Parts: sequence; C-alpha cells; structure tokens
Amino acid sequence: MCQNPHQKEINPSHFEGSSEEKATANVVDHDFMNYTQGMKFFDPHMHMSSRTTDDYQALADAGVVALIEPAFWLGQPRTGLASFKDYFSSLVGWERFRSSQFGIKHYCTIGLNSREANNEALAEQVMEILPLFLQKEGVVGVGEIGFDDQTAAEEKYYRAQLELAKEMNLPVQVHTPHRDKKKGTERSMAIALEHGIDPKMVIIDHNNEETVKSVLDQGFYAAFTIYPFTKMGNERMVEIVKEYGPTRIMVNSAADWGISDPLAIPKTAALMKIKGIDLEAIRLVTYQNALDAFAQSGQINESDFIHGIEIDQSQKFNGNTVLRGGQAPRINKNSMIIR
Amino acid sequence: MYSPVILEEILRFANPTESIWIDSKSKGNAKELALAFVMTPRFISKTQVKSSNIIMEGWSWEDYTLEKIVRIYFLCLISEMDGGDQLNLLFDTAEINEAVALHAALPALKNPTDFLLRATDAVRSNMGSVFESIAFENPYPSLYFSELAWNQMVLKCIFNDKAIHRIYGLEARANQALAGTLSDFAHERWAAGRRVPSQVWRLVPLFMNENLRGDIKKLEQSDNPRDILAAELVNKEIAQPGSTKEQWKELELPEPIYQA
Repeated sequence: MCQNPHQKEINPSHFEGSSEEKATANVVDHDFMNYTQGMKFFDPHMHMSSRTTDDYQALADAGVVALIEPAFWLGQPRTGLASFKDYFSSLVGWERFRSSQFGIKHYCTIGLNSREANNEALAEQVMEILPLFLQKEGVVGVGEIGFDDQTAAEEKYYRAQLELAKEMNLPVQVHTPHRDKKKGTERSMAIALEHGIDPKMVIIDHNNEETVKSVLDQGFYAAFTIYPFTKMGNERMVEIVKEYGPTRIMVNSAADWGISDPLAIPKTAALMKIKGIDLEAIRLVTYQNALDAFAQSGQINESDFIHGIEIDQSQKFNGNTVLRGGQAPRINKNSMIIR
Repeated sequence: MYSPVILEEILRFANPTESIWIDSKSKGNAKELALAFVMTPRFISKTQVKSSNIIMEGWSWEDYTLEKIVRIYFLCLISEMDGGDQLNLLFDTAEINEAVALHAALPALKNPTDFLLRATDAVRSNMGSVFESIAFENPYPSLYFSELAWNQMVLKCIFNDKAIHRIYGLEARANQALAGTLSDFAHERWAAGRRVPSQVWRLVPLFMNENLRGDIKKLEQSDNPRDILAAELVNKEIAQPGSTKEQWKELELPEPIYQA
C-alpha cells in the first residue's frame, strides 16, 4: 500500500484513457451523486477501524447500506495474542456498533493476515482463537488471508485457514500480493483448489487486468479494489466490466489507513453509468455479487439492510453513543458555530 | 442454581428441533457450552417470547428473545460447573449480542460478585445496548454495586438521556451524594442552555438542602410544564413520603436535550 502519491510513476496505469474521459472523470469527482440517486451499494472490503465518523456519514449519504470489514494488519506488527483478540473483538463489537449509528450494516471476515503469518510463534496462538470468532454472528468468511511475500510461513497458515473455512463452510476472502501479483494469485487459486474448496466460495481480491481472466475462467469471484496509485483506478474498472461483463465481478474500496477513498464504489457506479454500462450490470458489480458471494456464509440477511437498517432509538437519539451526551445526530459541517 | 427454572421457561417457547439442540448441547463441558453460546443464533430463533415469569425480582424478560434466554441458560450451566475461565473468555471476545446476553445473565450466575468488574465495565461501555444490558431491567447493580458505582451508572444514564425509571432499585438506592451531584449536573446543563429530563428530580426529595431547594424553585418558574410538574411532585413527596410514585410515570418519557 503505497502511501506516497509522488511515487505513482512506479505504478503505471494499465489503462490510458482519452482526454475526453479524463474530463468526464473530473466531472464525476465533483458531482457523482447526481448519477447514483436511488442506487444502493454493498462494499465487501473496508477497514473502517481506520476511518472517521465523517466517512460513515458520507457512506450513508452516498447509498452504501452494508459493508464487510476484513481482518488485516494495522500498519505495524502486533506483538501479542491479546492485541489480536481485542482487534477481532472490536470488529464484532465496537466497529459494528459505530457503523449501526449511521444506519450501515457492518459484517466482517476474520483471519490471520499474510504479513503477520510470518511471526510463527504468535501465528500459532492466533490460530487457536480463530474458530471461536469464526462462529460468531455476522462473521461472513475467513479473511483476508493469502500471500504477501509468498514465504513458507505464509503458505502454511494460508493452507491451515483454508481448512478452517472448509470445515465451517465459510467463504474465503483472499488478499493477493502487491509484488509478483500474477504468480501470487495463481498460486493462491491453485492451493485453494488443491484443498478441495469450491471456487465459488473464494473471493480473489485486488485483481487487475493481468489477473482477472484466469480468476474468472477458473470459477472464482474476482474482486477489484479501487484504490488510488497502487491498485485499480475506476476508469480501468469500467473497461474491465465492458470487456468481461458483470458475472462474478465485484468492486470494493479497501478504505484503510492509506490514501484510499471510501466512496470508491458509488463513484465507480457513477462513472459506469456515464460510460454506458447498463444499470443491471452496475447493480451486480456494486451490490449483488458481493452479497451473493458472502451470503454463502448463512450470516447475511438482506432484509436487515435493504430498506436501510433501523437506527435503534434506544442506541442513538436517546443513547449512550459515539454521539456523546445527546449531541445532535447530524452536524452542519459548514457552520462556524458549534453547539 | 437458576438453570433448571430457566430451562423450564425455555421449553415453553422452543420448538421440538430447538429443544433437541438445546438438550444435546447442555450435556457438554464448559468449553463446549461456551461454543454453544456463540453458535446459539444459528440454531435458535430470535422470536420475542413475552415471558412474564418472575425468576428473580427486578429481572424482567419482557423484551427478551428466545435466543437470548437460551444463551443465558448456557452461561448459567457454565458457571454452575465452575467454568470461570470460559466465562472470562466469552466476555473478552464478545460480539455485541453476546455482550448483552452476558451482562443480562450476571444476576443468575453462581458467585455473581466475581463479575463485578465486568459489570462496571459495561457501565463504561459506549455501546448503547451493552450499557442498557447492565443498567436496565437487571437487578445486578442494585444488589452488588457500591454507592460510587451505582451513582456513576445513574448519572451516566441521565447524562446520555436514557430513561432512568428502567433502572431497578432506583428509589431504594437513592442517596445524598447522588442528589448533590445531580444538582451540580443540572447547573452545568442549564449553563449550557440545555435541559435536564424532568423525571430525574424524583431522586432528591429525601435529601433536600439549600442547593436543591434553589433548583426546585427554578423548576417552579420554568416555562416547561414538565419541570413545573416535577417541582410539584418533589414538594408533595417531601410533605407526604410515598405519595407520588404513580404520578412520576407521567414524566417517564424521553426528553432530548435538543428540541427540534
């Protein structure tokens, strides 16, 4: 996850758009919500622990009704089991609650990420507590797991967690490496198949133009992270949907602690609409496919959020909340006066 | 041992498939029961049971779901077999609905005071439903909280505009320190141009002093009919102790500090 916008030249775009398209993108940037009225979105990959309440508010305003937060690393390695335990607990506790305050249904996937799999002593302890968390309500898969440096330790814990997923009949959310991505992606898929896992239970994440064909051909779900500089831009995403169609393709924002955009899905939907992709295809790649893939866990009930989740008045208006002390639920960001 | 009476209540509402699942899980050891607690929503429906059975004074199950009662049952079984380690693990890893069931179960666990810190931590929680699971319709705080912890819970409830009448033991545990702090709190709110929910004044009649008499005078002169009623009730309660209990019900409504 490149943090430095000045390094973008080392991650060249695979898609060179026309100047007309660049102009369109700028228009969408300013006014994308004019194009997405009435649409609803499901973002299957957002690290909300890193985001502010402003982001939640913006997501709710833009039509994001549900999201999945995969367990990942925190930018620096954890040094003990308790930190993992508290992090997993926060994904099913505090973060879920925070999200509900804005009317957004929050699910998560739980797993040992590839980077920290390299600390084997700690990884062993984490593996011990995973089954407990994987059985919890609203845990919709094992994730995000897979390869980073593609070390032996990473492979060992990737395999062990595939077995857990199989045993518990849960979908798997696979993080593909930033470096040596193509080989890493192929290897991730080959190992999943070797463990006898049905490819429709596996979501291969962070795809690009180089990986997508093989992922779809082998029957896996292909997720695309719209992420500035290091992953996919949304103009490139539009071209991919034009070329491959909407089947088993989904987009997400990652929305983590790096320079990322939590509104990547609504913005991409707007761009797709402008560029003539039909509404049903947009709905599939920005909502339905993610829902179908992760609902295989048995832990997603669309009726919980399709009409917006009820913001429990006992929790919000009247409540002991992030909106502390009965603070008015919505603040006017442009007002100089703070009451 | 509360597990037998809780099971009896569960069996009134569970369907045959659910009953079989509960029976098979209840024979497990503490670790297996803890996993059953986690997995309960996969096997037990979330139907509201409208149970009016009084298992313990102050422990109201009126808005409980069957799933929540089954979870409480498993927790009782774990505590009755001295599975403290498993209970602590469940507290440490709790998902929101699990946390709610854990705190709701506290009064029925064996050695309830072992979990005093868990209970006061729930009061510290900023998750609305977790706070409510210990504060409302739960006799645990009135039975085991120190005066300091009790007052903290009541104040936090008022601070966050939650309705204090849902706290069990409110009258019985009213005290001088709480009444005094309430006066200070009201002054802060008033200084900020905000309201204090009128029903909170039910906590002061037994503990009147100069400050509180001034506060009641201020209420009498309020533009808000609720404040005026609250002042009337305080004065009436001072004159005739025990005479106002029913009348406070009129003020048992949410009163947001921000009016639309």
